[in-house]
Amino acid sequence: MATISTALRHFKEPSKEQLTHTFFSIPPALDGTLDKSEEVEGMEINAVLSLGEAVEDSYAGKLHIMSPFLAFASLDRKSVRFTIPLSTIRRVERLNARAGIYALSLLTWHGMKLVVQLTSLRPTADLFCSLLKDALKLELQRGQMKLVKSFVKTCYSEVLVSNSSSAPENEREDGSLDDQIPNSEEITYHGGLGLKFKFPGDPKKLRETSKIKLWTTYLKTHGRNLTLLRYPQYTRLVQVGLPNRLRGEMWEVLSGSIYLRFANPGYYERLLEEHKGTTSTSTEDIEKDLHRSLPEYAGYQSEVGINSLRRVLQAYSFKNPELGYCQAMNILAAAILIYMSEEQAFWLLEILCDRLLPGYYAPSMHGTMLDQRVFESLVQRCLPMIHEHFQEVDVQLSVASLPWFLSLYINSMPMVFALRIVDCFFCMGPKVLFQSHHSTLFPAILKINGEKLLQIQDDGGFLNLMRDYFASLGESAHPDSPDPRARAITNFQELLLVSFREFSIIHSIESFAKRSAIRNLRTFGRFTKEQVGFVYDALYKAMCLVPPPPTSAPPPTLFTTGDGSEEKPETRIELKTFRHLLSEVATWARDEKIVMNGFQQRIDREVAEHEFIDRLFYFWDVGCRGALSFQDIVLGLDGVMFNDLMENIEWFFNLHDKNKDGYLTKDEVLVLSESLLFIFRFEVGDAYLGAVSRFMTNAFEYGDALLPRPEPKEGEDGERASSPPPIESNQPYLNLATFRMVVLADEILESFFETDLRNSFKLVPLPEMELPISSTGLLGDIWSSIATDTNKKMFNMFTDEIGKTIGRHQVIHRPSIGRYTTLEEPKARESLLTPSMRKSASKSSLKSSAAASTSTVSTAVGDAAPRPASSASSLTVNVPSPAQLASAKSALGSVPESGSLSAMPMMKAARDAALMERTPFAIDNAQDGDEDEDDFFDDDEEDDQVLDEVDAFLEAHDSGLTEADKKVAQDLLKAEPVK
Amino acid sequence: MAEQASASNDKSVQVKLVLLGEAAVGKSSVVLRFVNNEFQANKEPTIGAAFLTQKCRLEDRILRYEIWDTAGQERFHSLAPMYYRNAQAAVVVYDVTKASSLEKAKSWVKELQRQANPNIVIALAGNKVDLVQPSESSSGGTSVDESEDEADDATATGGEAPAPSGEGESLRQVPREEAQAYATEAGLLFFETSAKTGEGIVDIFTEIAKKIPIEHILASARGNAGRPGLAGNRAEGAQSQNVNLDQNATKAKDACNC
Repeated sequence: MATISTALRHFKEPSKEQLTHTFFSIPPALDGTLDKSEEVEGMEINAVLSLGEAVEDSYAGKLHIMSPFLAFASLDRKSVRFTIPLSTIRRVERLNARAGIYALSLLTWHGMKLVVQLTSLRPTADLFCSLLKDALKLELQRGQMKLVKSFVKTCYSEVLVSNSSSAPENEREDGSLDDQIPNSEEITYHGGLGLKFKFPGDPKKLRETSKIKLWTTYLKTHGRNLTLLRYPQYTRLVQVGLPNRLRGEMWEVLSGSIYLRFANPGYYERLLEEHKGTTSTSTEDIEKDLHRSLPEYAGYQSEVGINSLRRVLQAYSFKNPELGYCQAMNILAAAILIYMSEEQAFWLLEILCDRLLPGYYAPSMHGTMLDQRVFESLVQRCLPMIHEHFQEVDVQLSVASLPWFLSLYINSMPMVFALRIVDCFFCMGPKVLFQSHHSTLFPAILKINGEKLLQIQDDGGFLNLMRDYFASLGESAHPDSPDPRARAITNFQELLLVSFREFSIIHSIESFAKRSAIRNLRTFGRFTKEQVGFVYDALYKAMCLVPPPPTSAPPPTLFTTGDGSEEKPETRIELKTFRHLLSEVATWARDEKIVMNGFQQRIDREVAEHEFIDRLFYFWDVGCRGALSFQDIVLGLDGVMFNDLMENIEWFFNLHDKNKDGYLTKDEVLVLSESLLFIFRFEVGDAYLGAVSRFMTNAFEYGDALLPRPEPKEGEDGERASSPPPIESNQPYLNLATFRMVVLADEILESFFETDLRNSFKLVPLPEMELPISSTGLLGDIWSSIATDTNKKMFNMFTDEIGKTIGRHQVIHRPSIGRYTTLEEPKARESLLTPSMRKSASKSSLKSSAAASTSTVSTAVGDAAPRPASSASSLTVNVPSPAQLASAKSALGSVPESGSLSAMPMMKAARDAALMERTPFAIDNAQDGDEDEDDFFDDDEEDDQVLDEVDAFLEAHDSGLTEADKKVAQDLLKAEPVK
Repeated sequence: MAEQASASNDKSVQVKLVLLGEAAVGKSSVVLRFVNNEFQANKEPTIGAAFLTQKCRLEDRILRYEIWDTAGQERFHSLAPMYYRNAQAAVVVYDVTKASSLEKAKSWVKELQRQANPNIVIALAGNKVDLVQPSESSSGGTSVDESEDEADDATATGGEAPAPSGEGESLRQVPREEAQAYATEAGLLFFETSAKTGEGIVDIFTEIAKKIPIEHILASARGNAGRPGLAGNRAEGAQSQNVNLDQNATKAKDACNC
């Protein structure tokens, strides 16, 4: 077992770049084949991908240059992706699109037209294009482009597509070709032994013909072999089992071994030539096993098959002498060779041993051992009952699982099923964090057999049970069901279903942790379970961004150590994490700037920092621990989200009543005003500004008026105004009743406390993760789900507001409340304040310095608020000295600045034509100064016209795009290249 | 250790037995012959390990062998302890037509004596004697077909296949006397066997059964009905306490992957 620890010690967390390469199946360059100095730097950029002829939806995602590849993945990292060698890109054109849209059209070797709209900022897009250009040039110089033509001929898909009209009729049912067809055209494609010795399984039962038909259609429209694009349908087609004759090529594409074969033509033959006659321990071992590899298959009862197997295994042992040959590789290679040529099999073996199953076949077999441990802990966590039982009867899981993993279930279960598992295995790709790939399948097997497993008493019983189960995979899973459809479900289908549904690592652990955290709550307050679930999601997200202090283990660590099955009751977050959490939940707790470049818009989102948020943190920290638990947060939100007008006013009052004596001090009144200003900071127009200034005026008037009586009552006090003595700013000053009255005197504040405050907290459930079939590593998924979600929310909020707040300006702050969209100020409710009150109040206010300042404020507001240019630091006032009050005043004037300036002139226009004319903007204007006279880029003067047909931003879909974005993407398909 | 027959009750005794030895010496074939009394040419190599059971009557007592058939390739070596832990018996197999396989067998014996259960009964089996018996060498012939035209197979000496007819004794690389001498010196049971013809196979398991300290196993099983590991240095409690009478699994057709 020392090998494991050695391997673990040497284990390095893969870099982000490595992870990306792995995700896109980009093979490592073979030594000496690439000159590093020639490498073009890699880069990624936000992009929207559309496919020519509009057979698929457009998808938002990231486009990567990883010379010599161009790769794309949709935001969810599973719907759409491709990895295309640059050398298969025939043409790149800049599209003549509407203003502000930066789009490229890529034509691949197979004639697929891809339109990518680069949605990052202009300079980023420019940089990306120039890198792409360099990378393409380099490929041209390397002569790779010339190789494409001869290479694709080796792929069966070409034959399939070119003969698609005639081929199916000429195919025999067993999947092999009639002799006449290959004769009419020379066979150039690679194929496996199956073409000669037939493929395992009954082609009729496997529905080969219809599968081939579906694939032909797909390959025609989505590219093939080197240029294959993976859209959702692709994954589905793989999951139902690949057709035999296409299987080899698809394995190549899915695993990425095709890129190795493409990049290293003739390597396999040369390797064998160079090592002719070489013998080693490996070659000896190989000889021993040649006749022992799938001996029941006809191909291996003939010299043809045996010789192929020998050459492939030997070639691999020459290529990687350190690993050499490990038993089980013979079984893998034998299975692979039924579907692929020797050269294809050689490269696939390379990818398998090197990347997909690292360390599995190494002399130390550390990968195998490591995975065994992972599985054991996985079982312990996911299936604790089985784990306990196994412990009790001293049965080791690995006695069964180890052989399965080493041979990828081939020869553990009937061949046809094992092959489908291999299909899925290649399709799902390597998990990034857990290096296990069977992790989805294995627990599923155990779960399905759970009842029986609890009966077993020893290793033998376990193995027998597993053997019987595998033998029965083809049988109905529900033989007694009255429903014929249920009866038709085989054990195998059930197995796949269970494994995909329930045991994708990420899914199960995350949702398990969530379930138990929610279960552990003492109370949900008035929330529903779903709402609490959302709070958990927000909390979890925040903790990923800002992990809580180490004393309470942060969830990312919990994940990997496998201890995360339960959120510790003591997991508490600190202020910093809280800010992130709140920014997920409350509209005013984030700063959102909508940056617009013509049509494109991007939302910069920042977590707001303000004393108000800090105050909320401590307010909710009822245990005074300086940290909040999940329960604290739920209760805290509960305390504000269900309140009616009066309760909210009281809540807000209490929040600012630091010593909880039922009175606000003067300080606190000012702080409270600041809190309001903070919440209203991005509101359009002067309405909120006015409201707050009136609030301050009134608060101080009433406060002063009521001063002599420590416990005044609302009704009577209003009438009996006297001149109060000046008081210290930290003395009790304003009670709840007065505060309530002052608030109710203002329409805006009233509606704020009645509905807006409550509505500014939004518990919108996250979109549920779908079948995580092609899901990638743990972190990747979490991040991509954040990205998607964030984007969606941004778009949604933008949707809410776009009609109201369109402006010519490039940057718009999104308001948190967004109730008032015009500059018309609602009138204060004069009637509530009698003239005498007003008079006496203002008179009295003159007597205290603070009050004097207040009146200045009101004057200023009355003067239609002078607007200082800068709003910086306007919200930092804490102490009510006259000077600072003055600056508070300026704050009052400046707060709505950003919104109002931009929004005001456009308010009406925005309703009709939702999008905006581009004003010259430094970044965008950098355009076209650098015209490319390049082979690939025909850059051109950008059309600056205003385009106004986009009328709505609807909800974002799975593609991560709004309808409008989709429309743009669609339009781009028709766009002319720039001349 | 020889007072085996004095058992009083007629429960079957569970004996864990492990097969070790170089790759392709015929471990799986030996087990298959013993368990199912059959022989397969071109048996797929064992990956990890295979598990089979067989009952064996010895005088008035029934032994139930739980046989762990391990993978032979060197790199699976590190997994072996998982299988020979708690084993009461081991069969270390070598190939009489391959000298190096005896060396490997010796190293297995050493490892077992050093690391396994101290009372473990070890048998040394020189397999494939059918290849070195001139009279029968050309008769068996189920496996010879495909491999005849492979000249290089001779160097491998492995596989069950390379049985060119004629001068049988010349294929022998390990003289019986040499192996016998080593076995005596190391205190092992010794047999020459052929999984193909069945020669000597049952004898191994019978002799092992005779030598196993059954009383000891039973005693420790009775002694610590609770948890394993309490009865001195014998850790087999976990195995023997779960004796599973009348289990039909003895007729296991074929190990799951061998």
